[in-house]
Amino acid sequence: MNLHEHLATSEATIQAAKTVADLDEVETKLLGRNSPIGEARRQLGKLDPADRPAAGMEVNRVTAELNRLISERRAELARAEANVLLAGDSVDITVERWTLNQGTEHLVQQTIDEVCNIFIGLGYRVEQGPEAELAWFNFDALNTPPHHPSRFESDTLYLDFGDPADEVLLRTHTSPMQVRYMQSHKPPLYVVVPGKTFRSDTIDASHLPVFHQIEGLAVDSGIVFSDLKGTLAHFAREFFGREQRIRLRPSFFPFTEPSAELDVSCFVCGGTAASCRLCGGSGWLEMAGCGMVDPNVLDMAGHDSQTLSGFAFGMGVERLAMVRHGISNIRVFIDNDLRVLRQFR
Amino acid sequence: MRVSLHWLAEFIDLPDPDPNEVQRALNSLGLKVESVTELEADWSGVYVGVVDSIRPHPNADKVRLCLVSTGKEPIEVVCGAWNFDEGAKVAFAVPGATLAGGFELGARTIRGIESRGMICSERELGLGADHEGILVLDPDTELGKPFEEVVDLPDYVLDLEITSNRPDQMSMLGVARELAAFYGVPYRLPPVEVVGTDGALRTTVRVDDTDGCYRFVARELFGVEVKPSPLKIRQRLKAAGIRPISNIVDVTNYVMLELGQPLHAFDFDRLAKNEIVVRRAQAGEKLRTLDGVDRALTEADLVVADAETATGLAGTMGGGDSEVTSETKNVVIEAASWDAPTVLHMSKRHAIRTEASARFERGVDPNLPPLAAARANRLMMELAGGTSPSEAIDVVARAFVPATVSLPLAEVDRLLGGVVPRPEVRRLLERLDLEVEGDDPLVVTVPTRRRDLERPADLVEEVARLYGYDSFPESIPTGPAGGYNDEQHRHQSLRRVLTGAGLYQAINLSFSGTEDLAAFTYPADHQARLTVRVSNPLNEELATLRTSLLPGLLRTLRYNLNRGSRDLGIFETGRVFIHMPWEEDDRLPYQPERLGFAVSGHLGPSEMGNGARPVDLFTATALWRILATGLGLDDWRLESAAPAGYHPGRAARVLLGGREIGYVGELHPLTAAAYDLQGRIAVGEVELAPLLAPVRRWELVEPSSFPSIDFDLSFVVPEEMPAEELLTITRDVASDLCERAQLFDEYRGTALGKGKKALAITYRFRAPDHTFSSDEIADLRQRLVAAARALGATLRGEKA
Repeated sequence: MNLHEHLATSEATIQAAKTVADLDEVETKLLGRNSPIGEARRQLGKLDPADRPAAGMEVNRVTAELNRLISERRAELARAEANVLLAGDSVDITVERWTLNQGTEHLVQQTIDEVCNIFIGLGYRVEQGPEAELAWFNFDALNTPPHHPSRFESDTLYLDFGDPADEVLLRTHTSPMQVRYMQSHKPPLYVVVPGKTFRSDTIDASHLPVFHQIEGLAVDSGIVFSDLKGTLAHFAREFFGREQRIRLRPSFFPFTEPSAELDVSCFVCGGTAASCRLCGGSGWLEMAGCGMVDPNVLDMAGHDSQTLSGFAFGMGVERLAMVRHGISNIRVFIDNDLRVLRQFR
Repeated sequence: MRVSLHWLAEFIDLPDPDPNEVQRALNSLGLKVESVTELEADWSGVYVGVVDSIRPHPNADKVRLCLVSTGKEPIEVVCGAWNFDEGAKVAFAVPGATLAGGFELGARTIRGIESRGMICSERELGLGADHEGILVLDPDTELGKPFEEVVDLPDYVLDLEITSNRPDQMSMLGVARELAAFYGVPYRLPPVEVVGTDGALRTTVRVDDTDGCYRFVARELFGVEVKPSPLKIRQRLKAAGIRPISNIVDVTNYVMLELGQPLHAFDFDRLAKNEIVVRRAQAGEKLRTLDGVDRALTEADLVVADAETATGLAGTMGGGDSEVTSETKNVVIEAASWDAPTVLHMSKRHAIRTEASARFERGVDPNLPPLAAARANRLMMELAGGTSPSEAIDVVARAFVPATVSLPLAEVDRLLGGVVPRPEVRRLLERLDLEVEGDDPLVVTVPTRRRDLERPADLVEEVARLYGYDSFPESIPTGPAGGYNDEQHRHQSLRRVLTGAGLYQAINLSFSGTEDLAAFTYPADHQARLTVRVSNPLNEELATLRTSLLPGLLRTLRYNLNRGSRDLGIFETGRVFIHMPWEEDDRLPYQPERLGFAVSGHLGPSEMGNGARPVDLFTATALWRILATGLGLDDWRLESAAPAGYHPGRAARVLLGGREIGYVGELHPLTAAAYDLQGRIAVGEVELAPLLAPVRRWELVEPSSFPSIDFDLSFVVPEEMPAEELLTITRDVASDLCERAQLFDEYRGTALGKGKKALAITYRFRAPDHTFSSDEIADLRQRLVAAARALGATLRGEKA
């Protein structure tokens, strides 16, 4: 039998093997010592040396081809046999055999991070400051007159500490960090300050004695009113969504001039429902106080209000979260109820 | 401040009186509109009628028959009221009319006579409680007019939030002035001329305290008739939230709402010696105020007194002794200018907040009193009759003159970016009734009612406000280099590591109580006892700042356990407050940030049917290890410790870089019980700053390509020897070759003998540059055993 015929008949033999074990026998039969291939190899030495290379090449070609066919068939059979075994090993993949519970960050923290990230995108740094603060930073340096009602004990929590003349208190807003930051840094200043703030309030659905604010401050040469407007509009669109309208409404704060409130159009009614539970029918939600830094504040912090200008803003973190997530009772933020915490990931 | 649009129309002709448009204009001006209320007539089919004739009812004594005409066919009705005569103008409900409360009027027969209509009282129209008599209208009221037009209905009332720097806006005039500036239209003042007599003034006014009182204007009015005000005045007061009392008192309130100047009316005959003295109160002096409260005065209180006693708290509330009553015949009108802080402190001290104090504490125009006194005088004469001297008493203790502010136009451009054209700047300021001279700088004369305008920046705000914040373009400046710093990044990593380990972040109030100090049994000298107290606490729960995060965390555990959560792990980062100077600013208390955690139930990977591992000390130490690994901290160790509040045998001191930074462990069962917690609670509290401090940059160690050698050794050691010690000592035998030395079993048994335990350790060694020979391995083993032996450990199964 010449090798060509051998190859032709072997192909069917290989395909006929039904198990890997069968195939092993077939392999011996087709390629072993007593196979036509083995016989052909033995005959090689007896050939005329001139014919030997061609015959050798033919033996090798057929051997390689048979090996290829066998190994292909072996892979086929091995997979089929494995599949039979694995079929018996199948499981209900919907069963949770084990798990590792993941906690969450507090919604206040998530809100702070999100707001900070928006401003970081605009080149702002993030700072924190002391919560027990001097009246000078909390009020005086922010241009608050000595008799301003916000200084009253009914609004501000004072601490029994240090020199009574220093009037140590729990900061009522994050704005004192405006002053501390301006004192310790040279312009250009772009900074946001998240943190706890304190008021003398009993806990109810809309008041907490401890809550969070985010302060923002930009001081540079050539800062103008449009910069304040554009920055806050950018923030509002990033945080609340592109479709929200915003407006600045004149207001008053001792430490800014001109001052404004940032209003965002109501998500619930868009200004169409007179009895909207969120906006009360006005169509607008008050989200932040802001303004151009008052020249007295710049001067008191050691900067020249004649050449520098800036803007500042402050917003309540809980308020931002309440509006965005439809939370009606601010207590949610201090209850730390896991059933609430785990909803926000 | 509530503003009726009809009333406002007396001061300004608005280009578009639609309430939505007015609301838009006011919001744009910075007078925030809190709400808009539509006032509608509570009736229909009620007209102005005249009582043509009255005759007795043939069958009844208590009612009369009245023939009422509304300009058409007269109608006869039965009427039970007697407070009117023939010719009186009345509110007449014709058959088919609907009255307050939806009552429909039909024809009724009363004692045999058919009554086809009704003469209405205030109550029947929903205008007031009065139903003693019918409502008698002004004689000149137009006959046949629908009655709702007589009382200006329908009307809209806008509730405005006035910012504290703008007391001048707290009146109809003030609001009208703003709208006039907005639209560039004129506004007008109400008539103030007093047609008086030449008679001499009989009251003397003396201002003893010129710090508290800048100006005191008084006017006299003799022979008044005190009675209810006309309906329109009463309606307007009510719409503004003020209760009508009598024509004299109502006028003081009405003029305050008109012009913004609070006024007071005294009964002239009840002022001792016709004297008015402005002075500070004497300590111990008493005053019964109009609200009937007896008040003990202090020397800081400013009073208006007569020759003998205090008659009122200046600018805050009058006294009962000199008030105008129904018997009053002669009146003294007070219009004064008070020092704002004096009124502010007085109203706070006595907890009185009135329409007057709300205005004075923000600052009323010191030059408004003469105008307001004249207006009140004129109105009182209109409503109550009487005669007045044409002169007023006017004591000026401190004169205020208009200020001038110089405004360089470059300053406007610098702050507003050149958005407002320069010629527009002058025009906008002039619209506010400010006198503007010069070209550049503008020299602006500011009237005394606008004492908030002191500096160029204040005028720039006015320009921006009138130009309209909406009209400014938007631009976004950016900082040179932003981002979180290393500490902030590490804080985020810390939160991610802990939430990844299954803990939830909590945020608790920064307060705690004395019961917490007791629950933790802190010794007397413990830092946690150095509490900072609030000097003006609202209640005891909010009186002491926390010195530890743990009490708040434990309360949060309990809160959640009470709500059915079983397996709970929470952490918090935040400041605690210690009563000692802070190194960052020694005027402030030390207020370091801490990390705390508390876990109960089970924590960790949970397998179906088995759940997670029950919480104990090892939960606490594992959380520390996970955190230290996650944050890349390496120079740390745990030492057995017994801190206050912890289980004495299951707690550890955490040392980082050799320095103690806090503790982790199991809560003492009695401390747990103080928070109603049962079972083992894993807690920990460490300083945050050392965790966030940047760690050294690691240099790459090339992984060895040679095989490792692994073997286990089991040592018998004294019970008190910490496993960590054995691990460290043996690891140090060849620390450069040791990849791992890990405890995999801890065994106790009688075979070992009392006070002994066996610690089984698995080791892995690998050299960077060669494969270990069997000699080397034997040598390593031998050195490990020798090192352990030096510690008092023996190889298990070997004789000691």
